[in-house]
Amino acid sequence: MRGILHNINYTVAALLFLMGLYTVLVKPNIIKKLMGLNIMETSVFLLIVSIGMVRDGNAPVVTEGVKAAQMVNPIPQALILTGIVVAVSTTAVGLALCLKIHETYDTLDAFRIPGRQEL
Amino acid sequence: MSASANHPVLIVAVPLLFAALCPILALWKRSICFPWALAGVGVTAFFSWSLIGKVSSGKALTYNLSGWRPPWGIQIRIDTVGLMMACLITGVGALLIVYSWRYVTHDIKPERVPYYYTLLLLLITSMLGFSITGDLFNFFVFMEIFSITSYALVAIAEERRAIRAALKYLLMGATSSLLVLFAIAFLYSVTGSLNMVDISRQLAKLSPGFVPVAAVALILFMVGFSVKSALFPLHEWLPDAHSIAPSPISAILSALVIKMGVLGILRILFVVYGSAFALESTSWSRVAGVLSWTAAIAIVAGSLMAIIQRDLKVMIAYSSIAHVGYIVLGICMLSSRGMTGGLFNILAHAMGKACFFLVAGSFIYKHGIRRIQDLRGIGRTMPVTSGAFALASLSIVGLPPSAGFIAKWYILWGCITRGNYFFVVMVLLGSLLSAIYCFRVVYYMFFTGRAARAEPVDEVPATMYVPAALLSAGTVFMGVFASLVLPALSGAARAFLIR
Repeated sequence: MRGILHNINYTVAALLFLMGLYTVLVKPNIIKKLMGLNIMETSVFLLIVSIGMVRDGNAPVVTEGVKAAQMVNPIPQALILTGIVVAVSTTAVGLALCLKIHETYDTLDAFRIPGRQEL
Repeated sequence: MSASANHPVLIVAVPLLFAALCPILALWKRSICFPWALAGVGVTAFFSWSLIGKVSSGKALTYNLSGWRPPWGIQIRIDTVGLMMACLITGVGALLIVYSWRYVTHDIKPERVPYYYTLLLLLITSMLGFSITGDLFNFFVFMEIFSITSYALVAIAEERRAIRAALKYLLMGATSSLLVLFAIAFLYSVTGSLNMVDISRQLAKLSPGFVPVAAVALILFMVGFSVKSALFPLHEWLPDAHSIAPSPISAILSALVIKMGVLGILRILFVVYGSAFALESTSWSRVAGVLSWTAAIAIVAGSLMAIIQRDLKVMIAYSSIAHVGYIVLGICMLSSRGMTGGLFNILAHAMGKACFFLVAGSFIYKHGIRRIQDLRGIGRTMPVTSGAFALASLSIVGLPPSAGFIAKWYILWGCITRGNYFFVVMVLLGSLLSAIYCFRVVYYMFFTGRAARAEPVDEVPATMYVPAALLSAGTVFMGVFASLVLPALSGAARAFLIR
């Protein structure tokens, strides 16, 4: 129990990831699946940023009297900015596909779109 | 500093620049996209082929971007496998762009054509970057770029079924990318570094409390890259996406993009988690064991599914699943001969499968034929295209003197060295099943249909049958002259296994 509370960032990230994965797998609406994908992405970004956190840390800007060890690690923040850009691109392509699916099949229900064999 | 010192970064920078300028140039004149794309890949091919001879199995060619030394800067690290992939990507990419010139007029709306070439150039850029980078996060970013461009390229022809196939590919691919990112987060948290070689040094002396974190990260990496390479239980996206995409895109997806997943498995298992980590934790060899079992099942399951298909492109897509099984089986046998076979099969299968899809595309372009039984007698009216298919099928089945034979021989040798006779049986069974589905097509093409009457030869345009013919001739050439590449690959395999 103490292990879970000590590593609460890992636990929360894993739970959020699983919730997002559940949404992608179970919900029939495609927009909800894309939202589940975004929840998964958010969980990973949360984990990455929380790894770089320093308790009562300063911003990672060179100032007088602030030692490097007191600053929050800027690398994870750069990583998740890149990751957010990637997530936005994936969501954009996904939403464009949603538009096309709605135009073609007039439904957004993933279980009602005919499969490869049925066409 | 010699003039060629900057070639490593130019391999990625040049096609990226060409891709960025492509839509802008298309506003001026749409017909310039094809020569522009071909020029871009041609210049990149010059840069990547110029590095042959500078990379040896013991020492990879490294290049620090902007001069920042690792682990603070991003490092490009070109080892033998990376160089082979770079040369393969530029070579096959150039042939596919030549093929696309006529094919896009059949499938894609004219106002979309500039975006097709842009996305294709971005795909080539990102695959090149993925093959040569030495930094783990750079690895992830390039993986995302090739994934997103392939989702878009599958759907670009706006065929009804393509949209659904692209969505399935997107959902599965994006989930797997997130698994890889999760794993990178874990590795960063226990090692504090993002450079692959630096991480492997840190993992060798990891404190025991952190070993489970690294082991979980390994498993997440493997699952993520298994989806990307369509390894057996996670292959469901491949038949739809590869069969419904426009044919040159199917070719590049099957020939190159799924090999990126295999390259990911290779880099993570052998470069990042070297054998030093294997001594610390038993999870490494267990992971390799599990992967070899799923690969063996993939070989037989993929081939069986290919036999029952009626659509030509779906059959070829299932055959890709089987061949990824061969490659991963060779790599995970943990013997230098098996790994040489797996790496050589990347080369052989890329050329053979690209030829298959180009031929299938030629049939669709000329006659609209998608089903195998409609191919009766087409060997008479389209001899070069059908002949290319027949020649490439030697490589897919694994018959001498093709490159596929050499690859399977080495994989079998690796399995026998390891004493895994069950895998020997699976590989041989896979070859037999491949013969069934490949030669059935050859039978329909050449040995049935209207006889006697001399039908006029009515081929596709030359820019479409020449790439297919070159690729199939390439499989035979690489089979006969395998000694050009095999020593380098054996050296690379041994270097991977002793790290």
